[in-house]
Amino acid sequence: MSRRNLELGFLVLAGAVSTMAYVSVYTGRFREINRISIIYGLVFVGIFVLLHLLERIFLPQADPFLLPITALLAAIGLTEIFRIKPSLALVQGQWLLVGAGLFVLTVLIVRDHMKLDRYRYLIGAVGLALLVATIVIGTTINGAKLWIHAFGFSIQPSEFAKLAIVIFLAGYLDDKKVMLSVPQRHVLGVPVPAFKYFGPLLVMWVLSLAMLVFMKDFGMALLFMSIFVGLMYMATARVVYVVAGAGLFAAAGAIAVYIVPHVQDRFEVWLNPWPYASTTGYQLLQSLFTIADGGVVGAGFGRGYLLFPDRTPVVPDLQTDFIFTAVANEMGLLGAAGIVLVYLLFVWRGFRIAVYAPDGFSKLLAAGLATAFAIQTFIIIGGVTRLIPLTGITLPFVSYGGSSITANLMLVALLLMVSNRTNIIRGGSDLERRKLAEKG
Amino acid sequence: MNKAMSKVFIVSVVLFVALVVNLTWIMVVRAQWFQDRPQNKRSIAKEMKIKRGDIIGYDGSVIAGTERRSGYYYRDYPNGTLAPQLVGYDSIRYGRSGIEAQLNDELTGQSSDLGVQNWVDKLLGRRPKGANVKVTLVPAVQKVAQQQLQGQKGAIVLLDPKTGALIASASAPTYDPANLEDQWARLIKDTSAPLLNRPTQGLYVPGSAFKVVTASAGLDTGKVTPDTQFVDTGTYVVFGGKVTNYGGEVYGPNNFTYALTASINTTFAKVGNTLGRKRLIAGAQQYGFYQTPPLPLPAGEIVASGRYGKKGLLSPDAFMDPLDVAWAACGQEKLLATPLQMALVAGGVANGGRVMKPYYLQEIVTSEGQVVSKAQPEQWQVATKALTADQLNTMMQNVVNAGTGTAAALEGIQVAGKTGTAEKGDGTNLAWFIGFAPAEDPQVCIAVVIEDTQSTGGEAAAPLAAAVIKTALAQPALP
Repeated sequence: MSRRNLELGFLVLAGAVSTMAYVSVYTGRFREINRISIIYGLVFVGIFVLLHLLERIFLPQADPFLLPITALLAAIGLTEIFRIKPSLALVQGQWLLVGAGLFVLTVLIVRDHMKLDRYRYLIGAVGLALLVATIVIGTTINGAKLWIHAFGFSIQPSEFAKLAIVIFLAGYLDDKKVMLSVPQRHVLGVPVPAFKYFGPLLVMWVLSLAMLVFMKDFGMALLFMSIFVGLMYMATARVVYVVAGAGLFAAAGAIAVYIVPHVQDRFEVWLNPWPYASTTGYQLLQSLFTIADGGVVGAGFGRGYLLFPDRTPVVPDLQTDFIFTAVANEMGLLGAAGIVLVYLLFVWRGFRIAVYAPDGFSKLLAAGLATAFAIQTFIIIGGVTRLIPLTGITLPFVSYGGSSITANLMLVALLLMVSNRTNIIRGGSDLERRKLAEKG
Repeated sequence: MNKAMSKVFIVSVVLFVALVVNLTWIMVVRAQWFQDRPQNKRSIAKEMKIKRGDIIGYDGSVIAGTERRSGYYYRDYPNGTLAPQLVGYDSIRYGRSGIEAQLNDELTGQSSDLGVQNWVDKLLGRRPKGANVKVTLVPAVQKVAQQQLQGQKGAIVLLDPKTGALIASASAPTYDPANLEDQWARLIKDTSAPLLNRPTQGLYVPGSAFKVVTASAGLDTGKVTPDTQFVDTGTYVVFGGKVTNYGGEVYGPNNFTYALTASINTTFAKVGNTLGRKRLIAGAQQYGFYQTPPLPLPAGEIVASGRYGKKGLLSPDAFMDPLDVAWAACGQEKLLATPLQMALVAGGVANGGRVMKPYYLQEIVTSEGQVVSKAQPEQWQVATKALTADQLNTMMQNVVNAGTGTAAALEGIQVAGKTGTAEKGDGTNLAWFIGFAPAEDPQVCIAVVIEDTQSTGGEAAAPLAAAVIKTALAQPALP
């Protein structure tokens, strides 16, 4: 079966699962079933059918798993958001539409991701500018400064900066990997590469630290640091970067815990939430109670106890940072673990694309995106389950939030482009090869 | 590069497996443990689908009823808010307190002793029906007690000294349990503590009201009689310190009865030292001090009276020098008492020296109308000999007839009592009145405490006691 037909099959499967979830929510709250909801479901199906058709034309040999996984996760997210607050689902649906539009634009404008390598400094600068702008003109919500208000929208630039930084680092590190792997001199017996190659990476570290201190956001800082350390390691295969990166981040984290009260609160609550049960630890404990209530199979979509009788969520921010809590409560351990495995499947496809890619830039780009995706997922699921300190970050495709879903759809577009190019070079038809050559 | 990428992928796998292991831990292994945490209010929502039993006053009127809104039963209070700090709140967000928390299993029909029908329902997995709880609070008396406290800070407790039934329990400032969600943030920050159930949780310096206990110990041990003579010079010097009278008064020669009537500190200080630390504290223990009164309430909502240090209640054996004993005999030093405990002191005297177990639960009636539990009055403490109680009764009548407590006197009803005025050192007083009526056959005993007042116990607390006692004795039926 061709990759596209396989994808269509998976999409139908994802569609079936999503439909069941929708129906479950409707019957759970049957009073709210109406025509708009059905139209809504059809629009959702339409979006992914269109993206699939776009792939058939422009990315014929792209990976067949990524789009169905995206559809499944987005459907679960929309269903759960609809279940928590129907009006938000409408907004999220519009964001999905915008994200799909950006996906299409990414595919049509970029055509071949190899082009991006040429603009890496520009892209890196844009990413940096987005973060600096957030620090300078950002708005603080829930103690963290992550949003910029513009044109009537709240944008979370770090979600887009994430993509820009990965593109930049993939290009930069692919170029400089040899220099970075060969130590120029030794300091206290530790091999250290020349400063001019190491310098930009120090900039990255300072950036992470600045995010921690000025944006007061442990999660994003950890995400950027992980992307950076991960890519350094994958480019050079030198463990010293991992050790140095982890050490530097641990040092930065320790400083932040002392000087940033918001980070300190989060850390204390993580260590022992019980004394703060009605204050700073309320959210985390309610999350744990709600997850524990899910049991093995859960009550089913639309049937868990997620809303107070006045329709406010039992956990503050349930539709954004704590969406996984809602999913775990209603789908139980089987569903929650299933979702984690679906994310892992996505990550696996990402790394597989990286491993098979024919050139360093493609490899690092795909692996960097996969790393970013994996770490982001881990940070938020680990946070709401108290495996690691809680930090506000979105669960890709599932959480409510326009920036998150649009940025992550662009991430999927980039991965699909890399896989398409790889598969064509490794075994596509002559026609496909010719088309690919034209793009470059 | 590929090898390094595989390693990063393996790290991702490890992290994701850790997520699944942790999820299993939370959702399966520790699920019940999380359910059982007191901070976990999720079960409350499930219980709010059950028709919660009413809390009914002694006169049969509903104190806390229910109202059904979109599948959930909410409390409503058809007769206004009566004793909200004792009855407690029932909030889907903030949990429960007071009787609502204490009798939750009965009110939600989940208790195992609610009759056969309830048991059958449980076997068949039907949603239980809550049992109604009838309490000994008499709404008419409770209302007057609350009115008397309006605009002030303090508490009024009224019991039947012969049974221990709690007739009224008022705490001010108060709150409205019906709209708790909207007020919660303000209520928990309010320094005047409207959520505090002052009658059982409020610890106050008992001041001269404690002299009843000192007198009881003195008379019971035979160290003094009502006629024992003392001479007051305005100052009693002991152990490098001195005890003086309220307002710097000098009384000259006085007998023990007059010393209680006029509340002479120096005489009680001397009696205290004649008794010594052990006998004085033992006397207090006989009235129930150093024990949590056996009124069933959630942990922390009822506290013991006694001497308090920085770390809470001191041992009854804790060291006291003679100056400490002298001031403790006057109800000062480190002594703290709840209004309930002080009402029980008056009740002990009223009931011939026997303190009855305080209770509020009259009966539990299942949704089928079957009475499954009925109050059985029980004795709690033997405080004094009957003779001592008789002598104290007469002495306390004197306080109301000719002493500091004249404002508590009622037309045609002989009230007996004792006032107390504890100076807080910031210019305000704590005003007390404890007593009972009618003195010859006591039907009610009372404690009134008013915080932050410029007046004395005789001025600020005694008239309130009179008003509440008058209302109580006019009731057609008391528990």
